[in-house]
Amino acid sequence: MKRFLAIVIAAFMILMKPLTVYAEETLPYDTYIYDYRGKAVFTPAAYIPSKTVFGENLSCGPFKNPQDMFIADDGSIYVADTGNNRIVVLSSNMEVLQIIDSFMNNSKKDTFNSPSGVYGTDDGDLYIADTNNKRVITLDNGGNMVKIISNPQSEVLNSDFDFAPLKVSVDYAGRVYVIASNVYQGIMAFNQDSEFMGYFGTINVRITLTQIFWRLFSTKEQRARQQQYIPTEFTGIDIDDEGFVYATNIDSTGGQAVRMLNPKGIDVIKQNPNGRHTLGGDVRFATGGEYSGASEIVDVKIRENGIYSLLDCNRGRIFTYDSEGNILYIFGGKGTQEGTFSQPVAIEAYHDLIYALDSSRNAIFIFEPTQYGSYINEAVGLRYNGDETKAVEIWKKVLELDSNNEMAYSGIGKAYLSSGDNKQAMYYLKMGINKEYYSIAYKRYRNELLKENLGWILTVVLVGFILYYILKPIIKSRMRRIRS
Amino acid sequence: MNKEEIKFLFYTITHPIDGFYELRHHGKGSIKLSLLTVFFCSAAYCINRRYASFIVNPSDTMEVNSLLYLLSLFVLFFLFCIGNWSVTCLMNGEGRMQDIITATGYALLPIPLLFIPATLTSQIVAADEQIFYSLIIYIAVIWGALLVICSNMVIHNFTLTKELKTLILTAAAMVIILFIILLFYSMFQQIAEFIKSIYTELMFRV
Repeated sequence: MKRFLAIVIAAFMILMKPLTVYAEETLPYDTYIYDYRGKAVFTPAAYIPSKTVFGENLSCGPFKNPQDMFIADDGSIYVADTGNNRIVVLSSNMEVLQIIDSFMNNSKKDTFNSPSGVYGTDDGDLYIADTNNKRVITLDNGGNMVKIISNPQSEVLNSDFDFAPLKVSVDYAGRVYVIASNVYQGIMAFNQDSEFMGYFGTINVRITLTQIFWRLFSTKEQRARQQQYIPTEFTGIDIDDEGFVYATNIDSTGGQAVRMLNPKGIDVIKQNPNGRHTLGGDVRFATGGEYSGASEIVDVKIRENGIYSLLDCNRGRIFTYDSEGNILYIFGGKGTQEGTFSQPVAIEAYHDLIYALDSSRNAIFIFEPTQYGSYINEAVGLRYNGDETKAVEIWKKVLELDSNNEMAYSGIGKAYLSSGDNKQAMYYLKMGINKEYYSIAYKRYRNELLKENLGWILTVVLVGFILYYILKPIIKSRMRRIRS
Repeated sequence: MNKEEIKFLFYTITHPIDGFYELRHHGKGSIKLSLLTVFFCSAAYCINRRYASFIVNPSDTMEVNSLLYLLSLFVLFFLFCIGNWSVTCLMNGEGRMQDIITATGYALLPIPLLFIPATLTSQIVAADEQIFYSLIIYIAVIWGALLVICSNMVIHNFTLTKELKTLILTAAAMVIILFIILLFYSMFQQIAEFIKSIYTELMFRV
């Protein structure tokens, strides 16, 4: 009997073993999304750790407090190795190509002092935010200095303004956007001639009702000692091919942590209209104790097809949204296992891979998509390019792996709607909790029903009326006869 | 609960002043019928939450709990009646407890009467026609609220201003009652805990 039981249990254990979908216990973090009602829903893993690169294992020696990273179109990786005052260039298969620790400045040898931002343009120029030297340096392909931004002059800047650039980004027209330390007015924009043009994308201060209430009752001295209401600083920046600037900031309320700034500096990012998840990272979080507080988004990377990923340094998570503000997948965590962060500072992507830089563990983490993750990337990409019918096939595969995926249901529903199958569209749009499109499908379905059935309904009504008027006198006279 | 009483129930919601006067002074109301109305009221609310169409329904239909709605409506109803009675006793109200329960129950009739048709309407409206659904819901709620005010005013023989004051005080009384209940609850819990610990102590030592 005991033996039989053991065999049964063993058989069960073999059958229960997950085959392809990565279960939680094999990964050091959970993968989840927020559903229509703002509840966290666990999904299969979208990205799994594939490799961790430490400087020790490379010929350049260990990194020291690296602050930024940039990946060029050919896959070469530029790491701003801040503590070692150098820029390390790695090839896509992680071999050291070059170590930039000095350059020629007017035929004199010059070095960096805590470079904490790096960005490369399409034509091979490299922009380096040389923080403690208070300048932004541009190097060309051969490592020669092309131009330098330092000591910006303007009426809006104080005479004792201290220019400490942290992050730098360049658009297709050669305008340079710099996030500098202790600058609350926005991103500093410079033109091609390195002249300061002005602040860009200022975040408006929001004062809550309770803050106004307490200010009403405080004295002048108290008010002076209270913390000032200043806008939050920007933390990370990236520019897409059309010149829109994506910039992140830390929103302590967990509201909006990323902005898409048009050339006038106005935020034009799309927020998901139906659904409660906003662009602020985690929707639900503890307000006190360990592991609490809103997500602190420190960097953004615009990926292919309007998808962008945000990096949270509070809980070490990576949030990925599509161009319409739908959340695609959330993964990552803090810890000391492989694939978990200690102090993540920068995020990059190359094709389908996601790279993250950790300034405390001095390492680059590489994540690769699972089948589930690449299906989602592919389907979102197809939809972004207007090929919704092709996307349906992929969404169906997504549903096989995760039958709770609202975006997949919505996507399939929309395709049915455009192909005219309104009843199927209604089912899928309801499963995807897409009220707007469900209503359209429902209206069309209602019209169909009416068109099909109006003929006999009207006939029955008409015949009923005629019969009633013919039969009424006859019945009345019969009744009278019976009574009398 | 005869036919006359049911007829009178419908008479009160269309002729509130006369209806509630007769309810108070000619004893035409029935507590049973009033409680039945409250029951129907919660049933109609449940049906609305659960079966109103996907377009108009904000609630998660998986989480609709009819027993919870039923209990909470009855608790709220009795809380209102007790609070109102306590306040009106001090404010020279003429209504007795029995009148308050009957009249308030009767005043809630528009809700079951209109929520069911509204739920049916919701089945045939699209998003831009939602107003037809919400109109019925609004009418039901406003009609019910006006009837509650009117019933209370008539059975206590109050003027409108005094009635509104009474309602605010009633709300305060309800909060106080809830507070006292919670206080007693936690106190009895502690007493029970105390007795339990004495018992375990004795079991270990004796």
